Amino acid sequence: MSSDNEARVHFRVIRYMHEAGLKLHLQSVPLATASTIYHRFFRQAALKDFDPYLIGATCISLACKVEEESVRLRDIVNVCYRTLHKNKAPLEIGETFWALRESVASCELFLLRALKFKVVFPHPHKYLVHYLRALSDWVEPKVWEEVPVCRTAWAMLRDSYHSSFCLDHPPEHVAVAVIYFALLTHGLEVPCQKYAKKKWWQVFSKDLSLDIIQDIITKLMTMYDMENQLSSSSR
Amino acid sequence: MPKAGEEGYYPFCPDESKYEKLAKIGQGTFGEVFKARDKKTKNVVAMKKVLMENEKEGFPITALREIKILQVLKNDNIVNLLEICRAKPAPYNRYKSTVYLVFEFCEHDLAGLLSNPQVKFSLAEIKKVMQQLLNGLYYIHSNKILHRDMKAANILITKTGRLKLADFGLARAFSDKLNRYTNRVVTLWYRPPELLLGERNYGPAIDLWGGGCIMAEMWTRSPIMQGNTEQHQLTLISQLCGAIAPEVWPGVEKLDLFTKIELPKGDKRKVKERLHKFVKDQYALDLLDKLLTLDPSKRVNSDDALNHDFFWVDPLPQDLNNMLSRHNKSMFEYLAPPRRRVPIHQQPQHPGAVRPTGHNPDQHFEPIF
Repeated sequence: MSSDNEARVHFRVIRYMHEAGLKLHLQSVPLATASTIYHRFFRQAALKDFDPYLIGATCISLACKVEEESVRLRDIVNVCYRTLHKNKAPLEIGETFWALRESVASCELFLLRALKFKVVFPHPHKYLVHYLRALSDWVEPKVWEEVPVCRTAWAMLRDSYHSSFCLDHPPEHVAVAVIYFALLTHGLEVPCQKYAKKKWWQVFSKDLSLDIIQDIITKLMTMYDMENQLSSSSR
Repeated sequence: MPKAGEEGYYPFCPDESKYEKLAKIGQGTFGEVFKARDKKTKNVVAMKKVLMENEKEGFPITALREIKILQVLKNDNIVNLLEICRAKPAPYNRYKSTVYLVFEFCEHDLAGLLSNPQVKFSLAEIKKVMQQLLNGLYYIHSNKILHRDMKAANILITKTGRLKLADFGLARAFSDKLNRYTNRVVTLWYRPPELLLGERNYGPAIDLWGGGCIMAEMWTRSPIMQGNTEQHQLTLISQLCGAIAPEVWPGVEKLDLFTKIELPKGDKRKVKERLHKFVKDQYALDLLDKLLTLDPSKRVNSDDALNHDFFWVDPLPQDLNNMLSRHNKSMFEYLAPPRRRVPIHQQPQHPGAVRPTGHNPDQHFEPIF
């Protein structure tokens, strides 16, 4: 499989994971952890050797444990099955259910070993919240209220997990980049940037450059492009 | 499904066969502990087996918590996790895979040392033990982690006298928000009154109560309050620390079990009086009094405890190095001979709770109070 094709498979699997996560009422951080575990695993494992949908379901169950979100394995199996097989009847308790559940349960240990039990990841979410909070004091309150920068940035961060660049950039950088991109899409400018000695984002991260920001934004746009291609060629 | 068990799939997780087991040295919350040696480097380590049997919910969350927490905690007074090993599925483990946590080896545990009458701690050495213990607690609490199983057997001491908090099998992260944690934690004899009364929104103070019990044990050489039921434990606590009542502990009446459990009334607080028989040092008694405070919001925290005069007046804390160098045998509670032939009642077991005592069944303690 070409790497382009592989990226598309991963996009679909992450979309399925997010859909299942939504139905399970997962918060953003556990979902981010699940996606990161998924990408981390496929950095070192070949797609042809594994069923990515099983890996995806297992990532959700593992992430729930890591982030102390109490979700029953039973529910994860049922919801993932339903998400994957929209046209089939819901899973009955029986051979298939127990087999799927057993697969996820034993796959958990497998994933843990493959990741050397390193399943705690620093996420951009907390940085994003703090940065947005700081920025809100710089921008005119009325403008900040009218332009949904926060929602856009948060959504972009969530979407960013459809691609694997969360593994390649520190969380602070990703947080700045999504804000930068969100401001750009809304045509909003942080006041007084012309006269300021430092750009707003330089305050948040010392080792960040415009090149890095642009690099992350390009990756985001590539990911959104892929979504367009996928939806135009149907699921 | 991946072809589990096949070579080459686990590039990062070494096999347990790189170690040679030397002896069983203990029983942890969820598995056995072995002393072992790295076949190549000859390094001596402790290996803790993670029980995976009957895990319908997948990898046990308690084990994952312990691993997660130990990966983050790196401090001189916290046991050091070296790596995680696996054992291949084989007939002897009924084709279930097993996981081992590999720790640096510590020669003794505090319960083992205290049960050996030949081991004598001077006041300065007790100060060093408590200073390191509180320092460990200060570190984990500032990292927002609760230990939840403080007891002498979980305090390890290396042959050079360095103290390490161990067994994070019940530990978890905490937040300052309102929480609903399980109150089925901490071995009964070291369990603080708020847990016994059903509090679920507890915090770091629970570990300091255990620290107080351990501190007293440095002199008494046996756990100070050996209740055999929750009710009995509360009675013992009341007899030592005074009656549990809203006058000394505002809000206690709101705890679930306050009205449901029979609490002794009218007891006076006698911490200093009763411990004076064992502890002559006034500063020590004062710190004990502050650690064994009923109301968790008034109990001393690890930072203030470290600033207590006990640690800053003569004799100053002294390294255990010299004293321990006189003993060349490992002392673990698990391996220790019975302390004294005074039978105590078996501690009752309740489902889902901490293992009964973690003590050797032959082990007897002389009750202190």
